[in-house]
Amino acid sequence: MTAEALDPLIHAPARLRLVATLAALPEGDALSFTRLQNMLELTPGNLITHLRKLEDAGYLTSEKTGNGTASRTSIGLTGRGRAALEAYTAALRGLLGGF
Amino acid sequence: MNDTRDLEQAATADNGGALDPREAARLLEQTSREARRQFALNPPLLTALMGVVILVAYGALWLSVLGQHPYTGPNLGVIALVYATVAVTIAVSVKVYQRATAGVSGPSARQRTVEGVPILVSYVGSAVIQGALKYYGASDAIVYGVIPAALPLIIVGTTVAGISASKADWPQFGAALAVVTGGVAAAFVGPIGAWLVAGIGLFVGVAGYAAATAWQGRAAGRG
Repeated sequence: MTAEALDPLIHAPARLRLVATLAALPEGDALSFTRLQNMLELTPGNLITHLRKLEDAGYLTSEKTGNGTASRTSIGLTGRGRAALEAYTAALRGLLGGF
Repeated sequence: MNDTRDLEQAATADNGGALDPREAARLLEQTSREARRQFALNPPLLTALMGVVILVAYGALWLSVLGQHPYTGPNLGVIALVYATVAVTIAVSVKVYQRATAGVSGPSARQRTVEGVPILVSYVGSAVIQGALKYYGASDAIVYGVIPAALPLIIVGTTVAGISASKADWPQFGAALAVVTGGVAAAFVGPIGAWLVAGIGLFVGVAGYAAATAWQGRAAGRG
């Protein structure tokens, strides 16, 4: 097995940390954009770029509630995203002989 | 320092640099562990500390009734001290809970709110039974000894056991069973010993839960 077997959408530091953070939540739960940004220490623009890529692939869902200053965006990992992370972890283990 | 270096390396790789699989594995493990720590509602260390506080509080209640004949119940000073300790413990737990759940929404958040209701009702229920026994003229040994020491553990412990089983949260289920067992044992050792046995039962349940969640966290980190 080679590094090419690793899902390129996840195999980037910021996105790997993003997906791993959301995967630590119970299944079906979502995290606010603000807290996610604080946990990952990314700029809003950088985070949005990565979120968009993962959302386009169906790995994440985002939901916006409220209006104006009271608006809040929540981001959650989809079943597909969780499965992709599991497959990525398994592929890494295969590459490294378990970690 | 390491974290800052990690972020710098991460930024480099996101800008086109190659991410070494070994580095990816380390980043994944580190991020997952940190996220679990931040989302933990019952951090093992805090839970273990709560177990010790409970043991000390029940130990103080036991010491305050030790040698009473006839039994009249714990003295008010000790009860006030225990309530103050419990209030501080609750305040710390609420703070930890708020920090862990900040920004989190979804089914588990809703479920936690629902779970709080039967726990509160069962706790109030045990106080109601205590009041009813007083009303019907039960002795001080029962009303201020056996019942307040043993009954909350049995009723609240059973409620928590039911909730844990429904979620397949087996560490919590085991802790709840230990608490119920402590309550049952406390009911049969008399009003003085009941406080000590109840305290030990609670300590075993809470400390056991702390140990189990710490072990689960380490196992998940390896997984």
